[in-house]
Formats: sequence, C-alpha cells, structure tokens
Amino acid sequence: MSELILTIDGKEVRTEEGKSVLEAAKGAGIDIPTLCYHPALEPFGACRLCLVEIESQGRQRVVTSCNYPAENGLNVLTRSPEVLELRKGVIELFLAQAPGAEKIRELAKEYGVEEPRFKLGAPDEKCILCGLCTRICEERMGACAINFVNRGVDRQVETPYQVTREIDMDVCRACGACAFVCPTGAITIEDITPKTPIPILSEFEEGLAQRAPVYIPFAQAVPNKPVIDKTQCVHFATGGCKACEAFCAPQAINFEQEDEVIEVEVGSIIIATGFDLFDPSVIRQYGYGRLDNVLTSLEFERMVNSAGPTGGHIKMKDGREPESIAIVHCVGSRDENYHEYCSRVCCMYSMKFAHLVKEHTGADVYEFYIDIRSFGKGYEEFYNRVLEEATVFIRGRPAEITDIAETPEEEGKLIVQFEDTLVGKQRRQPVDMVVLSCGIEPRRDIESIARLFNISRSADGFFLEKHPKLDPVATMTDGIFVAGCCQGPKDIPDTVAQASAAAAEALAMISRGTVEVEAATAVVNEKICTGCQLCKQVCPYSAISFDEQKQVCRVNETLCKGCGACVGGCPSDCISLNHYTNEQLVAQIEGALF
Amino acid sequence: MARLNSPEALEKLRQEITAGRDPDKPCITLCSGTACNANGSEKIAPVFAAEIEKQGLKGEVDLRRTGCHGFCERGPIVVIYPEEICYLQVQPGDAAEIVQSIKEKKLVERLLYKDASGARIAHEPEIPFYKNQQQVVFGFNRKIDPRSIDDYLAVGGYRALAKVLFKMTPEQVLEEVKKANLRGRGGGGFPTGRKWETTRDAPGEPKYVIVNADEGDPGAYMDRSLLEGNPHSVLEGLIIGAYAIGSHQGFIYVRAEYPLAVENVNIAIRQAREYGLLGENILGSGFGFTIDVHRGAGAFVSGESSALMTAIEGKVGEPRPKYVRTAVSGIWDRPSNLNNVETWANVPLIIGRGADWFASIGTKGSKGTKIFSLVGKVNNTGLVEVPMGVTLRRIIFDIGGGIPGGKKFKAVQTGGPSGGMIPEKFLDAPVDFDELTKLDSMMGSGGMIVMDEDTCVVDVARYFIDFLCDESCGKCVPCREGLKHMREILNDIVGGRGKPGDIELMEGLSKIMARASLCALGQTAPNPVMTTIHYFRDEYEAHVNEKRCPALVCKELIAYHIDPARCQACMICGRECPVNAISGGKGIIHVIDQQKCTRCGTCLDVCPARFRAVTKLSGEPVPAAIPERERVLVREKK
Amino acid sequence: MATQLAKVNEIIDKYPARPSVLIQLLLDIQGQFNWISRETIQCVSDRLGVPVSQIYRVASFYKAMSLKPRGKHVVNVCLGTACHVRGANRLMSKMEDTLGIKPGETTEDKKFSLERVNCLGCCALGPVMLVDKDYHGKMTPARVEPILKDYK
Repeated sequence: MSELILTIDGKEVRTEEGKSVLEAAKGAGIDIPTLCYHPALEPFGACRLCLVEIESQGRQRVVTSCNYPAENGLNVLTRSPEVLELRKGVIELFLAQAPGAEKIRELAKEYGVEEPRFKLGAPDEKCILCGLCTRICEERMGACAINFVNRGVDRQVETPYQVTREIDMDVCRACGACAFVCPTGAITIEDITPKTPIPILSEFEEGLAQRAPVYIPFAQAVPNKPVIDKTQCVHFATGGCKACEAFCAPQAINFEQEDEVIEVEVGSIIIATGFDLFDPSVIRQYGYGRLDNVLTSLEFERMVNSAGPTGGHIKMKDGREPESIAIVHCVGSRDENYHEYCSRVCCMYSMKFAHLVKEHTGADVYEFYIDIRSFGKGYEEFYNRVLEEATVFIRGRPAEITDIAETPEEEGKLIVQFEDTLVGKQRRQPVDMVVLSCGIEPRRDIESIARLFNISRSADGFFLEKHPKLDPVATMTDGIFVAGCCQGPKDIPDTVAQASAAAAEALAMISRGTVEVEAATAVVNEKICTGCQLCKQVCPYSAISFDEQKQVCRVNETLCKGCGACVGGCPSDCISLNHYTNEQLVAQIEGALF
Repeated sequence: MARLNSPEALEKLRQEITAGRDPDKPCITLCSGTACNANGSEKIAPVFAAEIEKQGLKGEVDLRRTGCHGFCERGPIVVIYPEEICYLQVQPGDAAEIVQSIKEKKLVERLLYKDASGARIAHEPEIPFYKNQQQVVFGFNRKIDPRSIDDYLAVGGYRALAKVLFKMTPEQVLEEVKKANLRGRGGGGFPTGRKWETTRDAPGEPKYVIVNADEGDPGAYMDRSLLEGNPHSVLEGLIIGAYAIGSHQGFIYVRAEYPLAVENVNIAIRQAREYGLLGENILGSGFGFTIDVHRGAGAFVSGESSALMTAIEGKVGEPRPKYVRTAVSGIWDRPSNLNNVETWANVPLIIGRGADWFASIGTKGSKGTKIFSLVGKVNNTGLVEVPMGVTLRRIIFDIGGGIPGGKKFKAVQTGGPSGGMIPEKFLDAPVDFDELTKLDSMMGSGGMIVMDEDTCVVDVARYFIDFLCDESCGKCVPCREGLKHMREILNDIVGGRGKPGDIELMEGLSKIMARASLCALGQTAPNPVMTTIHYFRDEYEAHVNEKRCPALVCKELIAYHIDPARCQACMICGRECPVNAISGGKGIIHVIDQQKCTRCGTCLDVCPARFRAVTKLSGEPVPAAIPERERVLVREKK
Repeated sequence: MATQLAKVNEIIDKYPARPSVLIQLLLDIQGQFNWISRETIQCVSDRLGVPVSQIYRVASFYKAMSLKPRGKHVVNVCLGTACHVRGANRLMSKMEDTLGIKPGETTEDKKFSLERVNCLGCCALGPVMLVDKDYHGKMTPARVEPILKDYK
C-alpha cells in the first residue's frame, strides 16, 4: 500500500492509501468529533459531526471526514469557522432531538451551544438515530434483530413488530453489542429481547466483574497479551463479527490459531502446579452461593484490591458499604468432614482482611477461629496489632449462617450462629457480610499429574516429597522436583524458599554436566523375553519400554533404580539385576557358607 | 416473429411495414395516456371500434390508441389522420358523429378547439398549445401505438441503433453525444457524454446502465408519458448508451405508481427481444444486452442516484455516503450509469439526426429541447416541449394560455421540491439549466407549476417541507431534524403563531441543512423556503407580524364573512355549511358564527356567483353582525 | 392462512431466490393481498434468507407497502404540487370527514382505506384521486360523496 501525505490543520500527516481523512487525522492525534462512526463498521455518514473543510484541486468543499478518502496533497481544515458553524448547528439539532443524552450535552457544552432554539424532544429522549446499534447487529453480529423502521421524520430504531414482548420472532442473541456501541446510552438489551443476557464473568476477578470474549487474562499476565474465548466469541459462533480485527492496528489477530502441544526435551522438571481453593458451597449451612454477601476469601481479596472490580471499595451486593463483617476461619480445613489438615495461611490472611477492613471502612470485624496459628516471623506481632484495632476474636466454629431473623435487630442481616467456646454459650451475631476463609486443597487434576510424572501423593492428597527432612523438594524420580502448594499448604515465604531450593537442585544437575546412574540396574535378556510387558507394569520408575519392532522389553538405565521389582515379576525369568545376578548371588552364598 | 440478424433485415422489415400502410387512409387516433384514460379514453376505444364496424367502414378506417399528446387538460383527445383534425374532450356519445364525419369528410365543429376569440381550430398543429412547441422527443408519442413495435419501426425506429452497431465505434458514439452537449434531463443537468465516459473508463466489470423513471417530483409527469407513449425510444437510447459504455445489463427503475408505464415498457422489451433488438447478438452485431424492469415502491429519495441503485439491490433506497461517483461505483459497487427517461429518449435523435442538428437547438449551455409539465393555475395544462432558452412568458402565456379566471400571475415553481419559485419580474427570463439556477431555482425534471394571486407562498413552502418530511429517508440529522423544525416553524407561521425572528431562524437552519446534509435531497430541501423568503419576504412578514395571509389561504389567519349588503338570504350557504355555523333564514340576512366556523370555504363555493356575498378577510377584524332588526331583507317588489 | 402462504410461495417461486428481488416480491405480495402480513414476512425471510427485520424495514420504508390490513377499496388522494395549488387539501379534509379516518387508516367496516400520495402523475387533471384503479380528475369536495357511493 502506498503512502499518502496530506495536510490537516497545517500539520503534515502521513497515512496509507485507502484510509479516510478521519482515520488519517486520528492517526496524527487530531481529534474530530463523531457519533455514528465506529472503526469496525462501514462509514455511515449520518451524524454529520465529522464535517471538515477540504481544499482539493483549488476547490473548497465541506465533506464528512469519516468516508472521504485521504488523497495526496489534500488540505484539510477540521476547525475552520465554516466547519465550526455547521458543527454547532448540527449539535443544536441533536440537542433538540435528544435532550436526555449526556454525550450530546457534553458536546453542546464543548461547542458553546446553549438552549436549542427549536422545539425540544421528550426530556428523557436519548436516541439520536446514529444507527450504530442496528449496524453492529447486522454487519458484525449477523443477527439483524433491530433495524430502522419507517422513514423521514418518523424514523425509529425498532425490532420488527416490537418483539420485545413476544418471543417467536426474536432472533436476538442478547449479545449486548447494541448497548455497548450506543454513544448516548439510549438502548438496553431489555428494549430488544425478552431473553436475559448471560454475562461473561471474569475468572480472575472471581466472577465479581465481567469481561469481554477477547481479554487479557489479568494484569501483568505472562505473556501480557489478549486471548479470545472461543466459547463466547460471536465470530466462532456465527462466523461474523471480527470487530477486534478492525481495531488492531498491527493486525495481530489470528482467528485460525489453534491450541498446540509442544514437546520440549529437558533434563529436569520442577512441578509447581499450585492448589485449589476449597469450595465452600458444599458446606450448605454456610449459605455460600445462596446468600448474597457471603463471600470466599479470594472474592474478598479481589474486592479489597485497589485494582480489583470495585476499585478497592468494600461493597455489598446492593452497593452499600457493610457496617459489620464476620470472617470465618478454617472453612474446609481442620474439619474431619472435609480436610483434616491445617491450611496454614488462613489465619494470617484473615487477620490481614480485618486490618484492611478497618483501613477502608469503619465496619466491625468478627473473627471466628479455632486456634490462632501465627507462627511465622512477625506474625504474632501482627496478630497483636489486629487485636489492638478492636477486631473481635471469637473462639468457636460457626454452626450456621442464615438470613432468617429472630429479632428486629437481625432484620436484613446475616446471622452467624455459633458456640463461643470460651464462654460455653450458643450465640447469634448479626453482620452485613461474611467472608469464608477457605482452605487450600490439592488441585482437581493432581491425580493425572501424579500419574504422568509417577509421583506419589501423601494421605492429604498433595505430592509426596522424597524425604520430609532430608530431601524436601525432590521426588522419588531423579530430576523431578516439587515446589509450592502442590506439595502441601504453605505461605508465600515458604513457597519462595522451596522453589529456590528446587531450582538450585535442578541447577546442580545441570552444572555437573553428567548424571550418576545407579550401578545396579536391571537388564533384559532379549533372547528369552517373550514381550509380555508384565515388567513394564510393575516398574515404579517408568524405566521399562517396549520395543515394538523386536517385540521385547528394554530397560532405560538412567531411570532404573535397581529396585528389582521387574526381576521378581518376570514370568520367563529373563530379567536380571546387574551385580545381583543369580550366579553372583549363588557365589556369595557359597562364599558365606563355605 | 423471426429474429432480425442484420441491419438489412431490419430495413427490409421496415419497408414491408410502411408498404402495407396507406398514408392517406383515414386513421382515428385516440390518446391513451393515463390522463386521457382517467377521462374515459379507455371506454371510448371500443365504442369507436363498434361504430366503425356499424357504419361499414371496417378496413377503410384504422383505429389506433396512441401515447399521450400532452394536452391533458382537454382529454380525451381524438385526432383524425391524415388531416390531423383534433377533437377535444370526446365522450363515448360523440363516436358515431365523428365516424360519420370521416365518411362525409366533414368536421364536428363543436368538438374542435375554440380560441379566445371563439374561432374554431381544426388541425392539431395549429392549436396555439401545439403551434408554439417544438415537439422533437415527444413528437412520435401521438402518432404511434406504444404497444406496437411496428409503429415505431414505421417512423424510423431502431435505425439509430443499427447505425451505431454497424457504422460507429463506441468511442464515436461517445464523441457524438459529447459533441451534442446533451445534459441530463433529470435534475442536475450533468453533461451526459462525460458521465458515460466516466463509467466507460471506470475499472470493473460488469458495467450497468439504468433508466431512472422514478419520477418523484410532484407536478412532473413527462417521463411517465414518454415511457407510456413511446417506450421503444427509451429502449433504443438505452441500448445505444450501453454499446457506448460497454455494458450488457440495463435496468429500468419505474415508480410502481405508474402501472401503465410498467406494462408498456414490459411489452416493448418483449417485442424488441423477439425482433432480436435485445438479447444476445443484437442484429447480428455480436453485441448483447438485456434489460430488467425494476419497480420502485414509492419513495421520492429513491430518485437520488445512489439510493436508486441501493433499491435495485433490493435494499431500502437510502443514499450512500460515498464520495466515489456512482458512475464509478454504483450497483454492487460496479460502474453504473444512470440517466432519466427523457435523456435516454434524446439519444436516438442525436445519433439519427446528428449532433450538429441537436446542438443547433437551444442556448449556448443547454442544447436541444426540454419537455415541461405545465400545470397548476394555467389554462392549458399538459406537457409542452420547447427548445431550451424559450422564455417563461412564452411557455405560460402563449402555450399555456395564461391564468384562468382572469387572475393575476404570481409565481412559477420549477424543479420540484428542490427547486424554487420564480416571481413575475423574471417572466422574460429564458429557460435553461443555467438561467434557472441563477434565479435560485433549477430545471429539475421539468415540472412547472403556475401559481396565481390566490396562492399563498408560505403555504406552498410549507407544503413542500411537509412533502419532504414525508419523503426524506431520515438518515442524516440536518435533513431529518432540520425538516422537522422547519415544518414546526412554518406551521406556526401559517397558524398565526409566528414570532419575530422565525424567518431569520429558518434562514440559519437552511444554511445548516444545505451545507451539512448527506445527499442532494437534504441539501436542496430548504430551497422552497429560501426562494420564497428571498422573493416574497413581505408575505412572510405579513403572516408573522400582522397575522395576515395576503393571498387569503391560510385557514387560521382568515375569516369568512357574509356581506350584508350583498346577501340575498337564499339559504344555500346555510344548508351546505357542514358545521351549521350560518344563522339566518328565508328573508333574514345570513351571519357566520366565527366561533363555530371551521373555514372550510363551502359557503364561498356555493354562494351564487351573481351575489358574491361571501368574502374572505385576513388581518382585519370581522365586521360585527348587523343588529337583529336590520337583518330582515326587504326585497323590492317587481 | 394456509392458502395465503401457498399463494405467497407461488409469488416467490416466480423470482430467483436472491435478496435483490425483495422489493419486487413485496410489491407483488402487496398487490395480491393489499397488505403484507407477519406470516408473509416470515415466509419471505425463510425463502430468501433475508432477516425479518430487514424485510420489515423495507415494508415500513416504502409507501406502496402496508403492514396493516387495508380496506376493500383504497382511496389515494393526490397531494402533489399541482393538485395542492388547486385545492387538494380541501378535498382531503372532505374525504377525512366523509370516511371519518385520517390518511393511513382504514374504516371500521374495512371498506375504505385512505392514503395520501405525493403525485399520481396526472397533474393536468388536478385535484386527482385514485380509488383502486380508477382515476377521478378535477375533483371537488362536493363530488366526494357521490363517487364513494359507487364503491360498495
């Protein structure tokens, strides 16, 4: 594509052939107001706000920049007196048409348009008939659910036969594109369809915010690039849309990209697959998922985060700020119904929450605990500080969280029913919000990973290390290490320490340059082997492979630990262990006996 | 019918047709345009046929139903050839007498045209309405049966096409049209040859050629009459144009309101196809061309070229926001050339008689003739074809016969809703593309609506704005919203609610609409208001400041009053008044109750002309009713 | 209803199944039934592959098409410029009074529908009205009632 040079407001602007004057101006940072323009849609030329004055071949004309093609040597004025006068006139007409549109009022203010001299439309009228909604619905979404009807001064945006009240002609997918592009907020999905739109909830924000089908998974994601959610993207559903493509200047969007399986040959592997948060909805009596304002700790974590969905404001479902918050410890941990182990991190993060609540709001905080386990460096001090901040610590695991009030004070609140074990009494505590400090549990796919790497798991389900004291990062297989919560609950400092250790172990192997193999390894006598593969099944180290061509089993000496399981398991007695052959053993016995 | 495979075969056929026709054989031609049909022409035709048979003239007298003659005011029109004796306003009962007169070689005096002095004129070309015209494009309309291709061939039809296909290259055709300086008859007056060239040179195949017969200008119907009366001339022009441009597909976009035109053009296409004048390998030349007829569904804005092409694509006929000409990127983004019916009908004449002949007619910038539809408050309404450059006075007074009822001429509206009103002082201005533009009006498609002193210009301006409110597509803001407010303001003014500053507000709004609108409809929409303000500002001011309608038209500003000195207490008005607002009885002078009166004007209509007791007042108080005792009318005993 | 749809399908069969025939098709349907019903639109949409909302838009845009059932007789009063200056407004008022409906409406007995058209192209005969397929030229308010009586 060839480059064009034109002048916009006295500034030399370069653009590509095929671009409009508006695109050229935008590229050069020159602002031209628009209402009916959208980069992903064909220019419509209806709002007439993007008018500019052009001088081409000695002729001066006023044209709409959204669809006037950029030409070499074109002289464009975006704010000439003529343009400003016309733009003002157009804004006045818009203002008279849609006095309720905030965007129009802003434009009017910017261009010094006061009260229109014409008869005003209804005070709450917002629609300016720019057609963005109908065009995105047709051109991109391919639904064509809404369209213009009638003509002239009677033109409107409507669904055929106003199907909002009837479902049989409803072709709307409730995708919300119309409401999304509307510059004045005149259209809502409820205007279009009786269907309830299903929001796409952000995984990273724990469902507290919505995300688009194309999104960056979270801030500082690695790589920090957007991804397309195929299950939600309209393009993958209908073949249409591709609006993102129109926005992406470097044209980086590739709809053909598929998931790839990449094979990498490595010398060692560190497994750091992390954990899952305990799902508290299984504890029915705590009401998670049923009662508004019962949150998991991770949801609350997102809420208090200043980069989170509420901008760090603690808010209840109805938008109010809570006056009292209960934090329930050991949800799913130290509980023989769920996990018997202690999740180790909950006490401290619960206290952090208490501290943050006090910092953000004036709410009362009640911590329901069994024991406080503040064992790390500086942790006990933090506990004391939180105590001083007037956080109420109540020893006792709540029996139930309910919204059924028994007294007038409990109306409209959540009530925590518990036994205060220090007093030995049943009590009820009304609060506005409950945070469940959920425990850590093994990831739901830990079983398959364990099988893949041949790692054992301990009784709690986490990966089992080689030796809890002497080799806490290694596994029974050489070159495979574990780090972090996949091995057991731990907090960040512990995780960092373990991960560093694992990295050091791996580096040690690399820097050594060689691998010491076990001297006493099994060996298959291929002449006798029948290829029954029983040995392969019994090998705990996946050291035996089957040679399809020769129909025999073979031992990988670097993996073999010389445990001898295969030797004992071979029905045809064709496997022997180096240094422990039958002859050697017989000789040893003979030597000992005689 | 056999396909004609060479120009020689065409000429042979033509000779056969003319040979079979005796020029001296009497022929009754009956105008069968829509207007004459509406006046009863359809019913008269069978009566004539029966009468010819009855009087034993079968085979000796021909009967032919022709296209529109133009003099629609006096339809149905019957012309007897070869003498061209013209009978006007013929009724079924007159058939016997007319047929008889042919037999006896006499005239039916009472049906002849009567001029102002009362003298009868027998021959059609001598009637002043025709005498002052130069019917070139329109001329064959009254001679041929539009449903007979043989009739068209007999008058030399498709000769120009044969010439083009076998003796000229496309470039030569283009040059010829350019040399003739033919300008588009549809509105803007863009040079046709240059437009063709643009499409020809534009990249992309296929190319399309289109006939715009979406004649939306209210008050203009020449395209209808041409398409109804001589469809083959339009087809021939279109095929020639297609050859020059290199197109093989044409469209004719006709308003669905013109059912007869649709019917006749479809018949013509079928006939042309049967003769091998359309379709593959026309006349054996190797050039192929087909035409589809597309009916418009009633939208003025669809006459705009890009909107029309969108409509042909089957979509809502809205203008496209493109700065690329439709000549380069039109239907399905292919080069498309659009001309209106009259323009295409000029093409065979230019080819047949030469560009020099064509350029000898008309003025410097505007060549050839133009058909105007002369309507409104004028004696002889109808279609008139005159050379470019003829003055308005000649058209309205010499051809049109002036204003009926001895009223005074006030203005003539040209160019339809996009045009303007031209006041009396410019009556001597020559009519061509450039002169009309100088007068803030335009040629448009050739509507010429004459207005007399009883026409209120503010009311007419409001009428046009109302029309445009209805006909705008509503896409762009200046046009849609601007028209809405313009209508609001004008309604206020004619309703007596005008405020000082309203006129200036409309002027400001007009500028925004004219400069910021998307298509020509919006850009020219304020014209009716602008020109009337320009030429008749005093009338606007009378409406706004004095609450007075000088032409006594605007309902809310006028009052009906019965002059007690003239009222003969005949009770007619009292009986006819739909709201019983008139009191009085036999012998008691009638009085209108102004509270009840709806200003429908019935009383004025029915008051016998010799009394003329009902008058209209505006801007002055209605005289108080005369005291009860004076109301008794004392008639002088004879 | 089934017969109506059969007729609609018959009309559609006359044309190639291309979206570009939409307007011609709707005109034929309008001509056949005097209006375009919801079932018809659905049927055309299914056959041509044009979304319902687009067909609805076309039908609401063009004056020649009606989305409401119309009366047995359709009265079109021409309000073109030539007719206007010759008093078409008074003709229209009279018509409105006589039929008791506004333009675009249909009488309760479904006998008449009243429409305003912006030019019938018979300007020489103004004021003109078109009842079904009959033109009535040089109309006066007084002629309205006698003419309507002829349409039963």
